[in-house]
Amino acid sequence: MRYEVTLDDRLVRVDLGEHGRFTVDDRAVAADVREIVRARQWSITLDGESHEITVVTHEPLRLDIDGRDVRATVIDERALRANRGAARTRTGRIELRAPMPGLLKAVHVKEGDRVAAEAPLATLEAMKMENELLAPSAGRIARVSASPGAKVEAGAVLIVIADD
Amino acid sequence: MRAADAAYPIGAAAPRESYLNSARIIEVAKRSGCDAIHPGYGFLSENADFAQAVADAGLVFVGPPAKVQRLLGEKTAARRLARAADVPVAEGTEPLRDAAAARAAANEIGYPVLLKPAGGGGGKGMRVVGRDEDFEAAWRGATGEATAAFGAPALYLERQITNARHVEMQILADGHGNVVWLGERDCSIQRRHQKLIEESPGPNVTDGLRAKLGAAAVRIAERAGYVNAGTVEFLVDPTGQFNFLEVNTRLQVEHPVTEMVTGLDLVALQLRIAAGEPLPFTQEQIERRGAAIECRITAEDPFAGFVPASGRIALVREPAGPGIRVDSALFSGMTVPSEYDSLLAKVIAFGANREEAIARMRRALEEMRIAGIPTSLPFHRAALFEQDFVVGRYDTDFVTRWDPKNVPDLPDGAIAAAAVAAVLAMRSRGERRTVPVADPAWARAGREDTLR
Repeated sequence: MRYEVTLDDRLVRVDLGEHGRFTVDDRAVAADVREIVRARQWSITLDGESHEITVVTHEPLRLDIDGRDVRATVIDERALRANRGAARTRTGRIELRAPMPGLLKAVHVKEGDRVAAEAPLATLEAMKMENELLAPSAGRIARVSASPGAKVEAGAVLIVIADD
Repeated sequence: MRAADAAYPIGAAAPRESYLNSARIIEVAKRSGCDAIHPGYGFLSENADFAQAVADAGLVFVGPPAKVQRLLGEKTAARRLARAADVPVAEGTEPLRDAAAARAAANEIGYPVLLKPAGGGGGKGMRVVGRDEDFEAAWRGATGEATAAFGAPALYLERQITNARHVEMQILADGHGNVVWLGERDCSIQRRHQKLIEESPGPNVTDGLRAKLGAAAVRIAERAGYVNAGTVEFLVDPTGQFNFLEVNTRLQVEHPVTEMVTGLDLVALQLRIAAGEPLPFTQEQIERRGAAIECRITAEDPFAGFVPASGRIALVREPAGPGIRVDSALFSGMTVPSEYDSLLAKVIAFGANREEAIARMRRALEEMRIAGIPTSLPFHRAALFEQDFVVGRYDTDFVTRWDPKNVPDLPDGAIAAAAVAAVLAMRSRGERRTVPVADPAWARAGREDTLR
């Protein structure tokens, strides 16, 4: 199976063959891979160099490699094929989701409002702080899905913005 | 709680029902046979009514008495006291009646201004307002936060001093009239007015400035009749001129930095003072040596504007080694709640000089692992390599100017290994089958080899 991996700004092609053989950017590598903590931490010896990689978060994928931080994305072969030409089928709707659980203190917009990118849309109180949630892009408010005073879970859709 | 000898429930997770519920806390203290209450460094630690209620209940409050808290806890009163003690104070107002009055005052002082809660410090409820049109929103946000954090919505305004360094002076005062200063901490590296890195000595603090700040802090403490540990905060501009900010009438989160350079145990001294003992040393006997840095590792995502994160900690490895101290309650499997402050752990590095402290901190942060939720660790790792930090030429805008993309390039070998791991991580997530767990001893051996 082939994968396209981005690590910060670098694109790396990984081929995962039978019996744990790897090709990285079309170069076969002698890798010894040990899973230290299940689905969380690996020790990988590659061409004699030992590395420890920890998955800090899965979504988005953030890695700690030997005590350094990398943001990663992985696309597999099938997704690569499926995605080809699909970029234009986006719905034109962007969801503002709660970044963490908290108390929705205020919603500053109503359905139909036009907003600029980074306009404050709502205030979420969490960890003793009031956090202004900003519009991820400009558009028109298509839906307000939560009202002030509501306790919201992480990832809950609060507001939907449609392309203007 | 696992480290405690005894534990009593004080109420539900919401602070108002537990950690801000003074009646309940005092009731539990009496029932459990406590003779003193140490208020820590959040919640009711700077609440005069609580200090008074503790004293009225016949218990000892480990901190300055209620009358001192009243004098200094209300921030505009503290500013008046500092002025009377001949300490320079930034231009500002008394507590403001409403948004309209505040806005008028802001226009008079001139933007940018700083909206601050009169009821307490620590950065909660504080807002920089750059323009008149942003004033209403800032007022609303600050009022809400001040109410939630201190139970008091009152706000006042101060002129925003740009390119300033936040330098604070640790003091100790006993009940017999002795006041000493222990040295400064530079806490300029902040986001949303909450500190992320603190160090002592301050990299730009000359002996002359240190002595002036120390003397100013002692004057304020003496005038207030201060007892116990406290911190007098100052803003120092690039020319070395300083203005009084506020007094934190409690132990600070960053107190370990001072403990490392003075060799003193501040909490033990707090207890001795609370028990009525005199200070066991004079100003001349206080020795400072070496340099110490503290990194506050918080549950916040530095790649997303430091938005707070909560969730389950999947894995923790705390650093150790020469000159490294970690104050934390982290364990793998713990759930980071969303009701409290986002502080997870404090990593403190001590060295014979600043260079050694930085080198040790870099190594410690490289050794540390926290997985499961985003943390500020990537910021701290990067900050310790930022040129402005390395040369000690930073101010309170450091975090605003920090670019998360500005991370050192990984060597090719690490890139390849990270790419392989990224693929495995994605696959392991998709698959639910059991993966045989390899011998961790092997990996430990691998680690040890690379450390030799």
